[in-house]
This record gives sequence, structure tokens and C-alpha cells, in this order.
Amino acid sequence: MSLLAVSNLTKRYRRGGKTVTAVDDVSFHIEPGETLALAGPSGSGKSTIARLALRLIEPDAGGIEFEGDDFLALSGSPLRARRARLQMVFQDPLAAFNPRATVARVLDDPLRIHGIASRSERPRRIAALLERVGLSAGLAPRAIHEISGGQRQRVAIARAIATKPSLIVLDEALSALDVSVRGQILDLLLDLQRQERIAYLFISHDLGVVRTIAHRVVLLDGGRIAESGDARAIIDAPQSAVGKALVAATPRLNRSIGP
Amino acid sequence: MIPLRRFLHTPEAIAGAILLTALFAMALSASLLFPGDPQAIAGPALLPPFQDWSLPLGTDRLGRDVLAELFHGARTSLAVGLAAAAAALAVGAVVGTLAGFAGGLVDEMLMRTTDAFQTVPSFLLALAFVSVVGPSLGVVVIAIALGTWTGPARVARAEVLSIRERDYVASARAVGMHPLEIAFREVLPNALPPVLAMSSVIVAAAILTEAALSFLGLGDPNRVTWGGMISEGRAVLRTAPFLSIVPGIALVLTVLGIYLAGEGIVETTAVRRGLS
Repeated sequence: MSLLAVSNLTKRYRRGGKTVTAVDDVSFHIEPGETLALAGPSGSGKSTIARLALRLIEPDAGGIEFEGDDFLALSGSPLRARRARLQMVFQDPLAAFNPRATVARVLDDPLRIHGIASRSERPRRIAALLERVGLSAGLAPRAIHEISGGQRQRVAIARAIATKPSLIVLDEALSALDVSVRGQILDLLLDLQRQERIAYLFISHDLGVVRTIAHRVVLLDGGRIAESGDARAIIDAPQSAVGKALVAATPRLNRSIGP
Repeated sequence: MIPLRRFLHTPEAIAGAILLTALFAMALSASLLFPGDPQAIAGPALLPPFQDWSLPLGTDRLGRDVLAELFHGARTSLAVGLAAAAAALAVGAVVGTLAGFAGGLVDEMLMRTTDAFQTVPSFLLALAFVSVVGPSLGVVVIAIALGTWTGPARVARAEVLSIRERDYVASARAVGMHPLEIAFREVLPNALPPVLAMSSVIVAAAILTEAALSFLGLGDPNRVTWGGMISEGRAVLRTAPFLSIVPGIALVLTVLGIYLAGEGIVETTAVRRGLS
């Protein structure tokens, strides 16, 4: 049984009388502990799919099955409770936090909302979470805007793992970071996956990173699936036009796979 | 305190701060300097100002000390102005946040209610409310708030409409936070700055409305108000104009001070935003 199974997902937007199909009949599945990458040029519907999978927006057609249940059938308090199992890390680590929040408050929210730890126990849990993502526990009282981008993304990951999810959606989670920090966060994600068996839905346009982290990849173009399969196989020998274009746009990869 | 120093760099802010400080000093010292009932008779009737230094601003038709009335009136003006503005801002911010965040039918209902309140002139609304319920300080506060909460509600809603699309609201939903908690803990505090920027205008308008109500005899009869003093002096306007002019000047300076200080605060925050 798949952890997440998305079938025939469709999402349309109406803009000034015109209907734009952002996601068109997309199906894929993720197994426990696996990393599936959604890659494609901008406007290909990657982020829309991420938000659909998290029920941040509602699809026009299709089904989402999560941990064996019909995820689209949930609403209200059962839906909020189930959200503990399915977390997200956003691209811009500054925009993803309330500008007034402190690190402690950001991490306190999931622990409190899902009743994971009592009030007196929470400061210890927050310290443990910070240490788990490689940050000092002394960071807790700091404001979100005071810490660096890399630290912020680590806090975002700490928030995502606070509820012990089985799946984390990483929406361009590394794109806003500089290259040296990106490698460290990538290592942290791989380490978390090994130890906690968390599955990732990894959304990216950077095939170089996709090749290192993803087991399988789904290439999107204009809201449709262009090709999908084993990440290395597809990136080394793309069949679709969009796959070839994406690989050609990654000079580092071109050299490494040369003739 | 860099913001304070920047605040004091603009001349209008300094003027506003001085006027407001004087006003607060008057309100706070009223019962120290003038213990006892300001409405008690203190000397001969219609004594002009600057004649008797125990009654520097003279007395009114009934022989009440004008200076004591002025000090105690500052209390009423400030209390009503601040309370009405606080009530209007609180109601407006909550209604605007709910409308903007919930959207759909809730938004439609709340905003049509706001429209209904906005179509009625706010002074008429206050007048009607006080004449029906009866004049007392609390009723006057509610009456004024009734006509002024719509402005903050609209500003708050507009701000919330942009904030609710931000990533941190999405992440609060993804964490499983209850929609009401998202609205009031994540969205509302970030929507407040432009709403609070309206507060000086609202306080000033509330003080003027209170004065107008008192002038028409709809103020709390047990309290001295500047509007009531002007109304009292109207009967002897030709023979003793100072009875209307003194509280009139106090009113003008108060409203001016609030506007100037408010302007100064907006200016200070604008500069800070420009720098960052």
C-alpha cells in the first residue's frame, strides 16, 4: 500500500474569463521512506500539486489517498489532526514564518496543537528538536528575523518533524539557500529520512539536487506528466523534450554524464 | 530609544507631544488641584477672567470656577475619546479580520452590515442612540464607537486579504492550527499597523463628537464636559464670550495635539520602514 497515492488530479484557475489548467490529470504515488521528486520548469504545476497534496487548496477533480484513507473526504477537526502526519517546508524560509514569531513559538505550535507534549514539557522538546536539526537550543528565544536563512530553514524542518510525520513536502526547500548551506540541509534531510523513515515529496527545478536525493522523479510540463521513473535513469537519459531541456540547463550535469 | 529621538525630530510631533502632555497633566491633576465638586459654586457669577487670582479664568453664570471645570472636562474628553476609539478599533479589527479571513458568505454579511452603518451619518447615529438609551458616560462611548468602527473594519479587511495569501498562513494551516487561532494569532497582529495608524484621527473625531453631543445636552449630566461648557456659555455669548471661548480653545488645542502627534508617529514609522 502506498503512503500517498494521487490519482487523476486536476486543478483549474479562472483568470479574467479564461480557464488555465494548472494541473492536468496527474497521478503518482509515494512509498513509505521514499523520496519522489516533482521536477519541471516554472509554471509546470509543481507547487500547485504540493499545495493540493496538503489540502491547502482543493482540486477540481481526482483523488488523494494518504495512509490508506481518502484524504479529500476529511474536513474540520479530523483533517487538522491528520495534518500532523503530512508536513511541509516552504521555499522562502522567511515568508514561511509569522514575522512576529520567535523560534520557540514556531516549534511550540505543533507540539501544543497536536497535544504531543504538556506545557511544562514543551521547552525540553523544543530544545531537543533544535538539536536534532543541528541548531543550538539557545536559539529558542530569538526572533525568526534575527537568525540566518540556513538556520531558518533548519527551524522549518524542525517544525515539520515535530509531529512525527510520515511524509514531508519540500517545496523548493533548498532553492533560496546558498550553495554551502544547501549541502548541509541536504545532508540533514537524508539523515532524517534514514533514521525516521520519512518520505519526501521533493519539488525542485534543479535536477542536480534531484539526482542526489530522489529515488524516483516525475517530470512535469504544463501541468501534465511528461515522463516518470527512476531518478538517475531519467536524468541520465531523458526521453521527453522537457527532460532534455532541463538536463541541458544544468551545465554541471552535462559535463558529468558526457559521452 | 532611537525611534523616540526620530519622533522628536519633527517639529509637528514635538508640538503635538507638548499639547498632549499638557492635556494628560490636566486630566490627571484635576482632582489634586481642584478637589471637590467642580460643579459647586465658587464665587460671584460671571466673573471675567484674570480679575481674581483665586479664580483665574473667572466664573460662569452660576458662579462655578471655569478653570476647575476646564480641568475636569479634560478628563471626560480624554476618557470618552480614548475609550470610544479603543472600542471602535477593537470591533473594527475583529470584524474586518473575520470578514477578510473567512471570505464567502461571512464576508458578505459582515461587509453589508458595515455598509449599513456607513450609510447612516455617524453623528446622527450617536444622537439617536443616546436619546433612546439615555445619557451616561458609557452610553456616549458606545454611541460614538457605533459610528466609527466601520473605517478600521475596512482597512483591517483589506490588509487581511493580502496577508491570508502569505506562506506563513499556509504553514499555520499545514501545522493543523484552528482557523480562528490563525485569524486572531497569525493574521490579526500583522494586519494591525495600518489600523492603528487611524487611531489619532478616530480619537480626535470621538472627542469632537462627544463635545457636540454634550453641546446638544446629551452628555452625562453628572460630569463636566467642554461641549457642555460651550453650551452653557452660549446663553451669555454677548456679555461673557470667554465662557464659550475658553473651552473652545481647549477643544481645538486637544484635537490639534492629537493630530500632530499622530502625524509624527506615522512619519516616524514611515522613515523606519524606508530605512529597512
